[in-house]
Amino acid sequence: MQRPRFEAYSAFNLIAVALILIAATSTAIPFAAPAGAAAKGKLVLAWHAGFASRWLDPQEHDGTATPDNFFTAIHDALIKNQGTELYDHPALAEHFSVAPDAKSATFTLRRGTRFHNGDPVTPQDVKFSYENYRGAKADVFKKKTERVDIVDDRTIRFVFKEPFLDFAILFGTANVAGPAWVVPEKYYKQVGPDAFKQKPIGAGPYKLVRHEPGVRVELEAFDGYYRPVNAKQLVMIAVPEAATRVAMLERGEADIVYNVPGELITKVGKLPGVTLAPVLSGSFFIEFAGFQDPKNPFHDKRVREAVSLAVDRRAMNQAETAGMGKPTGNWINNDVQYAIEWPEFPRNVDRAKQLLREAGYPNGFDVDWVTPLPTFYSRGERLIAQLREVGIRGRLQTMERGIYFQRLQAGLKEFPGTQIILHGVRIAGSWSFWYEGHFKCGGFNSRDRICVKDLDGKFDQYERSTNPAERKKLAEEIQRGILENYYLVPVFRHAFVNAIGPRVVLQKWQDVFPTITTGYAYPWEDIKVKDQ
Amino acid sequence: MSQFIIRRVLYSVVTLLILSATIFLIVRLTGDPVALMAEASARPEDLERIRHQWGLDRSWPVQYVTFMQNAFTGELGKSFNYRLPVSELYFQRLPNSLTLGLAATLISLLIGIPAGIISAVKVNSGWDTVAKGVALLGLSIPGFWLGLVLILVFSVWLRWLPTSGSGDWRHVVMPALALGWYFAASMLRLTRSSMLEVLGSEYIKLARLKGLPDFVVIAMHAFKNALIPVFTLAGVNMVVMVNAAVIIEVIFAWPGIGRLLYEGIFQRDFPLVQGVVVMAGFMIVVINLLVDILYAIIDPRIRLTR
Amino acid sequence: MATIPANTRLAAERTWTGRLAALVKAAREAPLAVVVILGGLILVAALADLIAPYDPTLPVKGAEIFAPPFWMEGGSLATPLGTDFQGRDILSRLIYGARVSLIVGLMGTLVAGGIGTALGIVSGYLGGWVDQIIMRVTDAWLALPAIVFAIFLAAMIGPSMWNIIVILGAVYWTRYARVIRGEVLSLRERDFVKLAEIAGASKLRVIKKHILPNVLNTATVLASLTVGVVIIAEASLSFLGVGVPPPQPAWGLMLSEARPTLMAGQWWLTVFPGACILLIVLATQLFGDWLRVRLDPQTRNL
Repeated sequence: MQRPRFEAYSAFNLIAVALILIAATSTAIPFAAPAGAAAKGKLVLAWHAGFASRWLDPQEHDGTATPDNFFTAIHDALIKNQGTELYDHPALAEHFSVAPDAKSATFTLRRGTRFHNGDPVTPQDVKFSYENYRGAKADVFKKKTERVDIVDDRTIRFVFKEPFLDFAILFGTANVAGPAWVVPEKYYKQVGPDAFKQKPIGAGPYKLVRHEPGVRVELEAFDGYYRPVNAKQLVMIAVPEAATRVAMLERGEADIVYNVPGELITKVGKLPGVTLAPVLSGSFFIEFAGFQDPKNPFHDKRVREAVSLAVDRRAMNQAETAGMGKPTGNWINNDVQYAIEWPEFPRNVDRAKQLLREAGYPNGFDVDWVTPLPTFYSRGERLIAQLREVGIRGRLQTMERGIYFQRLQAGLKEFPGTQIILHGVRIAGSWSFWYEGHFKCGGFNSRDRICVKDLDGKFDQYERSTNPAERKKLAEEIQRGILENYYLVPVFRHAFVNAIGPRVVLQKWQDVFPTITTGYAYPWEDIKVKDQ
Repeated sequence: MSQFIIRRVLYSVVTLLILSATIFLIVRLTGDPVALMAEASARPEDLERIRHQWGLDRSWPVQYVTFMQNAFTGELGKSFNYRLPVSELYFQRLPNSLTLGLAATLISLLIGIPAGIISAVKVNSGWDTVAKGVALLGLSIPGFWLGLVLILVFSVWLRWLPTSGSGDWRHVVMPALALGWYFAASMLRLTRSSMLEVLGSEYIKLARLKGLPDFVVIAMHAFKNALIPVFTLAGVNMVVMVNAAVIIEVIFAWPGIGRLLYEGIFQRDFPLVQGVVVMAGFMIVVINLLVDILYAIIDPRIRLTR
Repeated sequence: MATIPANTRLAAERTWTGRLAALVKAAREAPLAVVVILGGLILVAALADLIAPYDPTLPVKGAEIFAPPFWMEGGSLATPLGTDFQGRDILSRLIYGARVSLIVGLMGTLVAGGIGTALGIVSGYLGGWVDQIIMRVTDAWLALPAIVFAIFLAAMIGPSMWNIIVILGAVYWTRYARVIRGEVLSLRERDFVKLAEIAGASKLRVIKKHILPNVLNTATVLASLTVGVVIIAEASLSFLGVGVPPPQPAWGLMLSEARPTLMAGQWWLTVFPGACILLIVLATQLFGDWLRVRLDPQTRNL
């Protein structure tokens, strides 16, 4: 079996290459055909959120991590993230290659793959899915793609107008964009996009049996899938209240529950037969909205550094996620492209006070508002208590989620005076996706709150560059620039803690949550349940 | 009589117009749905595209007129989040909500009516206090806490009932109890005052004079007449339970209309919130209309008062 | 114009001081337990600054998070009812919480009662199209869920305790409007009102002198029953994430924030605030019930 010849391509850093190599040796992809027939048992998953119907349609991927739960069950992609493979796990494609000039990419389809309605997966379906894609980052693909060529009945080539260095990573990371996910053209056109979301048909390991919009999705093993499917039935239920989810686990009504809140982690870990799965997820960091104004106390680098010295990252991690998160140096997680290693920041209250004295605040100062990402209010409260020890006095501002994002997107005028925002983001794919939306002047979520001109200049240079070595260098310079100047103060990586019940067969939690780029439990077909 | 009915129907239409305009405005003032539909690296063009897709780029008056035109044909718009007509979603969830609402109404009556009778008949006795205490307890415990305590006791400790979701009757017991108990207090009050009223009437005094035993007087005569207002209120309460049992449905993961409303509000799903609220309003208006007409038939003087 | 003693109620109850005196007298006759609970709570709320051992919004220095009450293993008399997930003293939070809950309960009731009574009087006394409009709005309002208002106001002016008061007032006025209007409709036909009108009193004067004093009893009874409902609604808004903002020590917020711990066995985080809510609501409800019988036995359908 052929693996993609990626090692030769120097655009990807050593870590990624190493991971791919490990994956290549450990992941066997068998060809056994009607594998779903042997499936047995029922797997019930209790979710922390209500289901949006768009999550069942990769054509309208919203760019968040949640929909890949459904994509990886119902649909399949040419390449995707799976296990330790970040974006290039060959799924519907048997192998692929990107031209050395990065101006085209060629995929060879696996033989004999079918959609749930029995139709074969054809290059035409791939072409349709790509060209009709209108979700997150669709404009990037549109802008850069010249045409899509069907070379033969198994081969398809994407031809770009200019070198498209990020193509594979954008294409294959399920929690960033969705054009790699193949939908059946005929069926999609026949029922239309809205009806497709009610009753989607895909080429994934599970086919839809019943769909109650927003609350329940029942799936059954698809025996035409090219990998063995273990559990016969997969049921996903939306259970918004955390305490109820834990009760379901305790009573055996659910086999996997997502998002166990901090207070319950210790207790759930002690339940008989239950395994905790603490997956490292989004990074939390402190942002000083409007610090560029010389009158703002945070304009002084020493004051920003004092904030960093005042934060007790370990106490925060211990109290909020039972110590299962990770106090961080770099807020860019190390599973994304070009992330640099950075040591954990120290805590030193005396040094923080001294820096504040030097900066002219011997008695500290008042912060108008400390606004945490909803609904992590208690993290904001802890931050306030910690800052108070060095004399920075803040008040908590809580916002409902929709209002918070609207205010972020409106920019500095919604955050006047002296402000601290404790923001949290799950960064996926490439560090640059984060920079573009959350740091750059004019970015969708950053607007005019940060605006560091020389870093933005470097970012533009990065975007224009087609030289991988130069891009890597710029990426690292920018991250270092942010960290050394405390433009942001990283706090910790949040642990998205899930729990697995006794019916699921496992040696360690990573057997059920093997995919490192996500907090969720897939590939679904690999999860085994004991037969009752 | 027909004039009375026409006037009442007109009032109902006006009420619904006020309601629809209010909810239309209020949801639009709660913020921008596009802020939640787009991802972090969205560009202005993406936002414009989404706005256009959902008709949010049109002026409010135009949007309102469209909404009302559709509403008159029974179509309440398409949900942003579920991509389904709101009416279809509503009727998908309605059976679940009706089941819960009916069961909860039954429980509120089962607690409220006996408690009301006891405290009307045995005023200021120990029984009165106990009955009142039981009925008022449901009103005094926040629903989400009561719900979780029920789950803890009956599902986790005793293992008698499933924690959540819908299915057979066992799934209904706890949410119906938590919801119905809250409304028991209002049933108690109304039962008691209307019992007292009936017990004080000439007609009951006559029955007592005739030497009928207390039990018979209460059971046969007083109770029967006192029930009419109680059932009227139970009807209105049920509409609220069917359409707005947000907290109980969230705690028990009950797939009803309350959760539709809950998620609609937090997702800024304008058509969905508007639709659910207008449907609730419609039900309340219809119930009130029926009650008014019924009363007018029973007591012709009412027709002249307004 | 001479006072017109046509009202059936005692003249002493017609003046404000007289009314207050009557209320105090009534309170003395109220069930003892209820008076003790309500009086105690008011006292605690008023003296919170003096009796609370710690700042309710900050962690206690040196205390663990989730420390149990003093009589349990690992508990300490320094934090007699234990600490919460931030290491704050639960007793201090309960004490200050009495203040927040009472303010929210009373002010919310006042806003609701104010709006409802005013609209009810105007509607009932003026009649005609004014009455029609007000009553149609009242009908329409019943279908608007509180949480929609909550998000709306949070978006407009940001979350705060006063915001919650406005929301709850805006939700619970309809009942007052309906009941008061009904009373005013019958008052309007009474002789003393007719006489005043014939004597040339302005509408405003008639409302002030004759209508308002006579609906106040009903409004009081309604209010006493609303306080508890408002306190429960405050807790519900917290559960939905749009209630009194943390770190304020509101009982409803404490209960809602700590609800997962119920499943983890740290019962003291929920049982104490839950019990406080239960007590105050039960007490105000019983007081209201009793007040109704005492003040106005004829009142129906409250």
